[in-house]
Amino acid sequence: MKRWTKLMVGAAAIALATAGCAGSGGTDSSNEQKAGQPRTLTVWLMNGSAPATLTDALNKEFEQKHDGVTVKYEVQEWNGIQDKLTTALASQNPPDVIELGNTQAPAFASEGVLTDLSKDVDKLNGGQWLASLKASGEWDGKQYSTPFYAANRMVIYRTDMFQQAGVTPPTSRAEWLAAIGKLKAKFGKDKQFQPLYLPGQNWYALLSFIYDEGGDIAEKSGNDFTATVDSDQAKAGLEFYKQLVDASGTTAPKDNDEQNPEQAGIYGQGKVAMMIALPWEVDTAAKNNAAIKEKTSAFPIPSRNAGETAPVFQGGSNLAVPVNSKNADLAKAYLALILSEKYQSQFAEAGMVPGASTDLSALDANPVSKAMADASKNGKSVPATPKWATIEAGQNPLKDMLTAYLTGAKDIDTATADANKALDAAFSG
Amino acid sequence: MRKTRTQRIALNAVGVLVALLFVFPTYWMITSAVKPSADLLSPAYDLVPHSVTLDNFASAIAKPGFTVHLTNSLIVTLGAVACALVAGVLAAFPLARLRFAGRKGFLLLVLIAQMAPIEALFIPMFLLMQDAGLLNKLPSLLLVYFAITLPFTVWTLRGFVSGIPFELEEAAMVDGCGRFGAFRRVVLPLLGPGLVATSVFAFITAWNEFLYALVFMRDSDKQTLPVWLSTFKTVFGTDWGGIMAASVLYALPALVFFMIVQRKLVSGATAGALKG
Amino acid sequence: MSVSMTQTAQITAPAGSSPPAPPRAGRARRAGLGERAVPYLLLAPAVITMLVLLGWPAIQVVGISFRKLDLGELVRGEIVWVGFDNYRAVLADPEVWAITLRTVLFTAACVAATVLAGLLIAILMRHVSTTVRVAIQVCLVLAWATPILATTTVFQWIFDQQYGILNKTLVKLGFDSFAGFSWFSSGASTLTVIGLLIVWQAVPFVCFTIYAGLLAAPRELYEAAAIDGASAWQSFATVSWPAIRALVTLATFLSVIWDFKVFAQVWAIRQGGPDGESTTLPLLLYLKGIAGRHFGVASAIAVLMIIVLLVLTARYLQLLLRSREADVS
Repeated sequence: MKRWTKLMVGAAAIALATAGCAGSGGTDSSNEQKAGQPRTLTVWLMNGSAPATLTDALNKEFEQKHDGVTVKYEVQEWNGIQDKLTTALASQNPPDVIELGNTQAPAFASEGVLTDLSKDVDKLNGGQWLASLKASGEWDGKQYSTPFYAANRMVIYRTDMFQQAGVTPPTSRAEWLAAIGKLKAKFGKDKQFQPLYLPGQNWYALLSFIYDEGGDIAEKSGNDFTATVDSDQAKAGLEFYKQLVDASGTTAPKDNDEQNPEQAGIYGQGKVAMMIALPWEVDTAAKNNAAIKEKTSAFPIPSRNAGETAPVFQGGSNLAVPVNSKNADLAKAYLALILSEKYQSQFAEAGMVPGASTDLSALDANPVSKAMADASKNGKSVPATPKWATIEAGQNPLKDMLTAYLTGAKDIDTATADANKALDAAFSG
Repeated sequence: MRKTRTQRIALNAVGVLVALLFVFPTYWMITSAVKPSADLLSPAYDLVPHSVTLDNFASAIAKPGFTVHLTNSLIVTLGAVACALVAGVLAAFPLARLRFAGRKGFLLLVLIAQMAPIEALFIPMFLLMQDAGLLNKLPSLLLVYFAITLPFTVWTLRGFVSGIPFELEEAAMVDGCGRFGAFRRVVLPLLGPGLVATSVFAFITAWNEFLYALVFMRDSDKQTLPVWLSTFKTVFGTDWGGIMAASVLYALPALVFFMIVQRKLVSGATAGALKG
Repeated sequence: MSVSMTQTAQITAPAGSSPPAPPRAGRARRAGLGERAVPYLLLAPAVITMLVLLGWPAIQVVGISFRKLDLGELVRGEIVWVGFDNYRAVLADPEVWAITLRTVLFTAACVAATVLAGLLIAILMRHVSTTVRVAIQVCLVLAWATPILATTTVFQWIFDQQYGILNKTLVKLGFDSFAGFSWFSSGASTLTVIGLLIVWQAVPFVCFTIYAGLLAAPRELYEAAAIDGASAWQSFATVSWPAIRALVTLATFLSVIWDFKVFAQVWAIRQGGPDGESTTLPLLLYLKGIAGRHFGVASAIAVLMIIVLLVLTARYLQLLLRSREADVS
């Protein structure tokens, strides 16, 4: 055993001696390049964010405006992006402009690795910013990231089936449930028909129902959050979710989300009348069934109050400048250009809700994106806490809550109480 | 052992069953790749695909960067396997055959080196490569794959070498071979099957590695196949048919590699034993 | 050297049993400095690579486990020592012991299944026709070589509640209760599916390794045993087993280490769900450490994992260090 002890002691000693050097990836940002010399601005946007035609024009215009500057534009994949961003931000030449998921932005802001943009808000078209994305870019009263673009879910439906069943797009929860009943009566003979495809873990839909009841998943005080999914409002939202699942008799798995199996693919098989989805899922469905696009439209998620639409969870992206960027001035200029009306309107044309433009008229051309635009005015985001990124990346208590309640494993009080406890633990952890 | 006809048939039947069982998920991957994407989530019973298309393969190969990433993957993987085998054989010989001070300490090092979870090592590893100025260069990946496959290679090859009776070498030495000549002429050929197992293992480990490839290589033209494969997953949904087709293409080089080493090394082993 | 000589040699000292004490190189002559350096020279490439590329980062992991290293500290290059805080944070979680136990049991089950299946298939491969053997080998290599992204997806499809071929087949065979059966509703059945996936991809290596060991025992030995009237079991016990014993131990040991550390497969299937019931230590490391960018915590869990692994493999390491020849590989 002596050998062991010796070995352990030795290892510990070396560890202590060397650990000082470990992880000292900090970089010296004092060696900023001087103006006039050729400079390179590295821009990281995510795959699927901005259409190539837009970025080509944008980068060209930026290079023309700034003499001697080359834009190194690199499209990143979502898969593994956390690890890639972490190492890139710690490296000697971090990217100068990065795109962050809006639910992840607070995690980066709170770590102090982003440049404070508070003083530049006006220059960055701040008056037009989308409220929920602006909020996700704030930390400690300062603005660390700017809105980029957003999208939200709505109910995508089959116009032909609605017509045959004699229903019109519902404008209240009651009408929605009635429509499900009528569709079932009309097409129910087909065993594979589902009036609404709703997997058990579509927590984005649940958020909408909870917001609609006047509830939320957490309450903010200062920088801290307390979970509130055990509130009566949240329970009512969960209850409505179950009502939908039961009324529609959906065969979607109760223990999985809308991506597994991919709900657009199932919609594309033509046996589903409605799904709660993002606009581009129509295109995914159309890949297997081109005809379905013509027969598809959308309406905002109905509210419990007739005539209103339910508030929606707004997903999207923010833009930020890493604190170690050697070209912060150029990066800000780049942000100003991409957030200008000229380019933001192109996002609307591409079917997204622009982050820095209140002009959504371009979205009206298509009935699906029009429904999204209508609902987006009532958009909310998840609690702007650095902990949320972890919750979403891993074991989301809201998903477990949904499955437990829908399968009957837990009653509503236990399910919500457990989720509340798990969320609180995550917020404080 | 003489087996009866029935026994032989029964054993072969079991063998076929085992083969089928093992190939089923792979078979399912292949059928998913040739199905039209509308059939991927089909409620119909489709153990054999109802219709077949090669569109997914065509679009996978046509996807930008396939050949570049394939080349990068081959360079880092084959490079790492070669390094690991050379260093592994060199180390396996003294570990199995010679006595020297520090031998046990080294064995322990090799063992413990395999225990660290790779997910926890990537930050220090990244900083190390940054200090060495190797980021965004293929050698950084080659080195890392060399390092993560090496302990295993050393350890397994040592196992194989000590499994080969020492008397064989002794006899060769009596016949006039030197210590290392005996090793080269007797042990190395017998090591064939062991080299197959270890090199295929090293190949597949390096071939499949994603995390280091992703964080070390900034430029997309330096990426390897696993990273390319992940680009089929986008915010707009996942091209599953494409992933499956790409995965089939992706698994092929490993199979080819196995075929080659198997033929070269195992046949060599038999010849060596007879000559021995 | 004649064939018969090989045979005698191997019968007297079957492969894998303690080799005779290796002769000290040139004992008759005086061992020169050069000759004494030989083992070290041969080991040098491996030692240097491991020390620099694995040892150094591993030592840093130990160091980081005593530091607060979140994204901010990493980017700014700050060094903040926090003593045992990271360990305390990990161990304070009441779940951690349950997860550790689960990981150990899961590893044990996977390793047992892998080694047993690998052993049986390796033996089987010796007794089938060449065509069947090649078929098995190709199928094994394919299972092995299939990229993780594809295997995890394919397994989820096969086991899918509505569209999975498994449920559809079971219903066809008359087991109607499997219509819409969810394989992922409990931790136990989720872990079973994950275990199958891991075993499926781990068997090929074990099998090829053991098969390689079996090849080292020449057919003549089996024939000699058969002439002596040995039963199948006797010939396995006297001829095959000594040839592969060391390799089986080796494969078991390596499987323990690998299966204990498996992350990608466990994560991909259900991210440790439902309700955290399939969470293992590597997932805990990811969830508590990497996902929230608390690299100090991640490192502390990594160190704990290494300690648990050392405990699990202590017996083997002890044998290795005690035995004079260190021949228990």
